[in-house]
Amino acid sequence: MPGLMHRETSQEIDAVAADWAARIDRGALSPADEGELDAWIAGDARRLGAFMRMRAVALQSNSARALGPDFDPEAFAQAEPPAATPITRRRLFWLGGSAVAASALGAIGLGLMMRDTVYETKLGEMRVVTLEDGSAVTLNTASRIRVAFADARRTVTLEEGEALFDVAKDPARPFIVEAGGTSVRAVGTSFSVKRLSDAPVEVLVREGIVEVAQPATPRPVRMTANMRIVTSHAVAQPVAIAPTEVDREIAWRSGRIAFEGEPLAQAAAAFGRYSDTRIIIEDPGIGREEITGLFASNDPVTFARAAAASLELKAVIGPGEVRLSR
Amino acid sequence: MHRYDERALWLARNVLPHEPALRAWLSRRPVDGLDIDDIVQETYARLSTTQSVEEIRNPRTYLITTARSVILSHIRHARVVPMHSMTQLEAMDFVSDEPDPETVAADRDELRKLAEAIAQLPPRTREVFVLRRVKAMSQREVAQELGVAESTIEKQMSKGFRRLADILGRGGKAEAGASREATEGNAGTYAQRDKPGD
Repeated sequence: MPGLMHRETSQEIDAVAADWAARIDRGALSPADEGELDAWIAGDARRLGAFMRMRAVALQSNSARALGPDFDPEAFAQAEPPAATPITRRRLFWLGGSAVAASALGAIGLGLMMRDTVYETKLGEMRVVTLEDGSAVTLNTASRIRVAFADARRTVTLEEGEALFDVAKDPARPFIVEAGGTSVRAVGTSFSVKRLSDAPVEVLVREGIVEVAQPATPRPVRMTANMRIVTSHAVAQPVAIAPTEVDREIAWRSGRIAFEGEPLAQAAAAFGRYSDTRIIIEDPGIGREEITGLFASNDPVTFARAAAASLELKAVIGPGEVRLSR
Repeated sequence: MHRYDERALWLARNVLPHEPALRAWLSRRPVDGLDIDDIVQETYARLSTTQSVEEIRNPRTYLITTARSVILSHIRHARVVPMHSMTQLEAMDFVSDEPDPETVAADRDELRKLAEAIAQLPPRTREVFVLRRVKAMSQREVAQELGVAESTIEKQMSKGFRRLADILGRGGKAEAGASREATEGNAGTYAQRDKPGD
């Protein structure tokens, strides 16, 4: 590296890399563009890295969808010196909101009756809810939770759907998620719970330790990071899984669904959780074909097209449905 | 889904959150003639071509080990090795690098960090970015909504990615380009820049 005559700066490389990442963000590249991208990458050892880093940022920023339609960047702006901060209408409104929250906290302290708070998402929607203790709940599509915090315990009921819980540590006040008879108890950790109408409750731990109690078992089972339990069996035991599988399982957080060798029928059904567009597989034989890849969860049509291309199927797109056939 | 995106997503989840730690590690071990940004880019390049990443249990350690080998190969390939590079090389012996509690907590915070990073974008870039990423509109839909050309949206997204890379990769506020941005931001129109490859 030292002693070379002219050298493109890393900033110059970053600028072009970001342009390519944005071009891909706009839509699929033409074969000619792909060739041009490869030619550019081949020109310097750093270019591939810069490009991949920008794509990583582009994909990472997809999680912003989880901030929900009401996201207000102003609320996340770094604090400015008070003298320089004009009091805007928005700021006043925000102060009003926290005053309401403060009085609600007061009500708990006095032991008054508090109504549970319900948060929900519609089909294809995703949102992050910050609870009063600082815990964050990310709700996947078509999900509903009921939050009831008391002095001795924090209870959240997953009434339907799927949610990832990032629990603020508070040893004096355990955090308990109830989901159809299964109860998951945590102190400070990160785990997801899935409760779909036609499937057993699933718990997945990303970090920390949780205890899962099921009606069928006398004693709760302990789960640590990278474990999953499916509470369908009489006495379900947690199973260790690879961290990469944990990532795959919660890819929904960035608006994606990941498959690794799942049958096409199952993959197609998974998209049904996110949109009204149905993927119809005309022949059960096709449904057993395996599919691998990462797809936008709100885009069943692109998924069906990709599946058709890789399995040599025909995809016929009609109103509200895509039909896959040989 | 671009052909590179599966690995890029792995980088997003496993490497990007540790980039500030990598930069801190590199800045404690300066090597003559090697720039941190160059090393970071080359490290990402190596991680992009590594055959399999499935088996990597501790991405943070792996990241630093990779960066170290990038540096070593540069030192080895330099025609004239400056004397004190050799001592630096010895000093570079890899000390076990336990993930600190801060790193463990970082992941939980990633969405908040992203929200703060978006808040730091220049106003026009931020407006485009929120429509594209938070409201999940396509670039074309954003262009229609704002009544500007699609290429303008693409340029704003490029600017946004570069800025976010700065903010997320350095673990806080944007450093590079802050002053450049200040002048561009007052231009009154969406800043225009050349397309890739032009």
